[in-house]
Amino acid sequence: MKHLPLVWAALWRNRTESVLTLLALSVAFALFGTMITLNAAYERAIDDTRLDRLLVACRFECGGLPVAYRGQLARIGGVVGVGGVLWLGGHEQDARHQITVMFVDEGVRLAWPELPMTQADWRALDASPAGVFLSESAAARRQVRVGDTVSLTTGPGGRADGGDTWFFTVLGMIPDPPGWGQGSVGPGWNPDLIVGNLRYFEASSRLDERDVVIVFRLAIDRAEHAREVCREIEARFTNASPALYCVPARDDAEELADATINMRQISLGIGAAGLFMILFLCANGMAESVRERLPEFGVLKTLGYEDGRIATLVVLEAIVPTVLAAVIGSALARAASALVAHLAVKGVIDMPEMRASPAAFGWALAAALLIGALSALVPLHRLRRMDVAAVVAGR
Amino acid sequence: MSELRQIAAVCRVGIGSLRGRYPPALVVVIGMACVVGVLASMLSLTAGLTQAYLRPEDATRAVVWSGTANFDQSRSLHRDTVATVLDAPGIAKGADGAPLADAEFLMRLPPLEGFAAGSLQLRGVGPAGLALRPAFRIVAGHMFREGTRELVAGVGAARKFGLSVGSTVQLRDGRWPVVGVFSCGTDIIESYVVGDADTVMAAARRRGFAQVIAQLTDAGAYAQFRTWLTENPALAVSVERKTDYDLRVSGANTAFFTHMAYLIGAIMALGALCGIVKIMFAAVRARTREIGTLRAIGFGAVPVAASVLVEAALLGVLGALLGAACAWLAFDGREMWVWGAFRLRVSASLVALGILWALVTSLLGGLPPALRAARLLPAAALRAE
Repeated sequence: MKHLPLVWAALWRNRTESVLTLLALSVAFALFGTMITLNAAYERAIDDTRLDRLLVACRFECGGLPVAYRGQLARIGGVVGVGGVLWLGGHEQDARHQITVMFVDEGVRLAWPELPMTQADWRALDASPAGVFLSESAAARRQVRVGDTVSLTTGPGGRADGGDTWFFTVLGMIPDPPGWGQGSVGPGWNPDLIVGNLRYFEASSRLDERDVVIVFRLAIDRAEHAREVCREIEARFTNASPALYCVPARDDAEELADATINMRQISLGIGAAGLFMILFLCANGMAESVRERLPEFGVLKTLGYEDGRIATLVVLEAIVPTVLAAVIGSALARAASALVAHLAVKGVIDMPEMRASPAAFGWALAAALLIGALSALVPLHRLRRMDVAAVVAGR
Repeated sequence: MSELRQIAAVCRVGIGSLRGRYPPALVVVIGMACVVGVLASMLSLTAGLTQAYLRPEDATRAVVWSGTANFDQSRSLHRDTVATVLDAPGIAKGADGAPLADAEFLMRLPPLEGFAAGSLQLRGVGPAGLALRPAFRIVAGHMFREGTRELVAGVGAARKFGLSVGSTVQLRDGRWPVVGVFSCGTDIIESYVVGDADTVMAAARRRGFAQVIAQLTDAGAYAQFRTWLTENPALAVSVERKTDYDLRVSGANTAFFTHMAYLIGAIMALGALCGIVKIMFAAVRARTREIGTLRAIGFGAVPVAASVLVEAALLGVLGALLGAACAWLAFDGREMWVWGAFRLRVSASLVALGILWALVTSLLGGLPPALRAARLLPAAALRAE
């Protein structure tokens, strides 16, 4: 603590350059913090996908899975819930705006409890089959409120009455599920979450399109049985028409994350590049500072300062600005993450929700200490080899 | 001495003294190398993916798909619709006099052994499919035969999913052998397995094609082709120039990433900018007496300021070249898979963008120190320690 006034005075020897160094370091740490938070957001999007949830679909592309499979799937050992899901895609009133409604049956309540709908939401959906719940981002994108109507137009003759437009009443908004809409279904897929009641589709669609779902979501009793249950489902439905394919939801999320641009790896690479960039800036600053103050260190040695105390001074001088920059940079990263999260909710960008975490600050602090320590190495080496008499004499 | 010659002379002096000031100069070079390296590496993905989708020959082609969806998702172009599309004016004719247009079928295949989710896709092509892809070459085995249950795998799909001649792929009616492996000049089709459209559709029990790709007589024929199709009351199809369509498809994959690349490049450049200002201030401080001497013997303030700017720009451009070289060595030509195989590409235009990025950053960073250098009074500068 007693070294701090000395260190502080040394740091502010050249005010302009010190401020500029601090700014450069802070920007680099803001980038590092944002990248760590981004990485965590993508990791969380996968971690939030539970291993005890299974997805069952057609093994080969087909027109849909018969709803009659529901009972057979429910009887398989370990399965505690089966929910049917069907997507209907089309466009809104303005044909340039794509819309997809995800119709769910009552089984989804049990098979997919992570879907962020409350019991009251489910009751409302049950009471008003022509109603829909929109995720907050989907609602923000359309600027709709409760009670408004949204429409979905498919090709001609999509409905039983010969029409091609479905009208839905907005019943409410639900939070965006973590990791929803990572472009994971491929180009052209609309990531908005709009939940409707399968009963409405059943009642209004063409007869030949009824009684099918696209995917069954299953909840099982134990996560460690996921792959085993999947194997049993696939075996039991091998010769069925259509045959089934089953995958644990977590495995599916991981595979899909790898099929798209891997932001998890890339964010870490960028964070590392940012730190590498400032390592040289710090090291150069420290080397310059020590070179210019060699006589001062010579005097300190003459006064009896041991090598260890001088090393402490130099290391502190290197670490204080990096730690300070880590604190400022982390605060900036927090603001940047909040901005990105806001943009994600508003639907301006499509990515998992970013949340600043103590872990990100911890990583920034650790990086600051490491960079500070590394940038002090060369100056320390120089001080160790310093000829005190020559330096004090000004030679 | 003219001002230009003065600038050249002062720059020579400044750059000549860089050897004695190499550590801070190195910091600028490395800092800018990091900025440009990251920017070029990230954008190499966009460039590679765009190249995989956008072929030079696509400028005179059009894509037709069913309904009003943004993409060819519905796969419901029935044979009668396809026949009508092939009658549209503006389609070029092949050597046999038939329209140079191909109705293609697309299907996602079930996951292969060792893959949890399926991202291998099957493309069924017709007789004109190969004529539309002049770069198509069989590199192993042989081409599938029309009407048989045979597939050929693109080199990208073969590498990603471990397919080779003799492998089999499970379809609805059983396992189909892979009888050949093909390349197609880095076209995105290299990420597919390809078979005869009619046979594949029969096996999949699907009746609808995904899209028709039509070779037009020339780029000007598009308007007539489009109008004829979209105003035909018997059809409900979407039509788009293939280049526009491909740009949308690749853009849907890369838009977020491209924005991120520029945002990150800008943040890193801001950090580098602060660093350059700091280092160039230190450089001016170190050269104070030299600058004082130059001013005392008659050199003007502008040449002195220009020499600082030139030094900053030179170091920035060196850094940009280093960063671009690192990005090129590490990533150019590296294969990636984002809904399909493609090669990362650090192109000349990316290098030029990096240099421009570095030049702007370093000139902005060099400006305050340059102004300070210009304002130095010769007498005071000569007295500086």
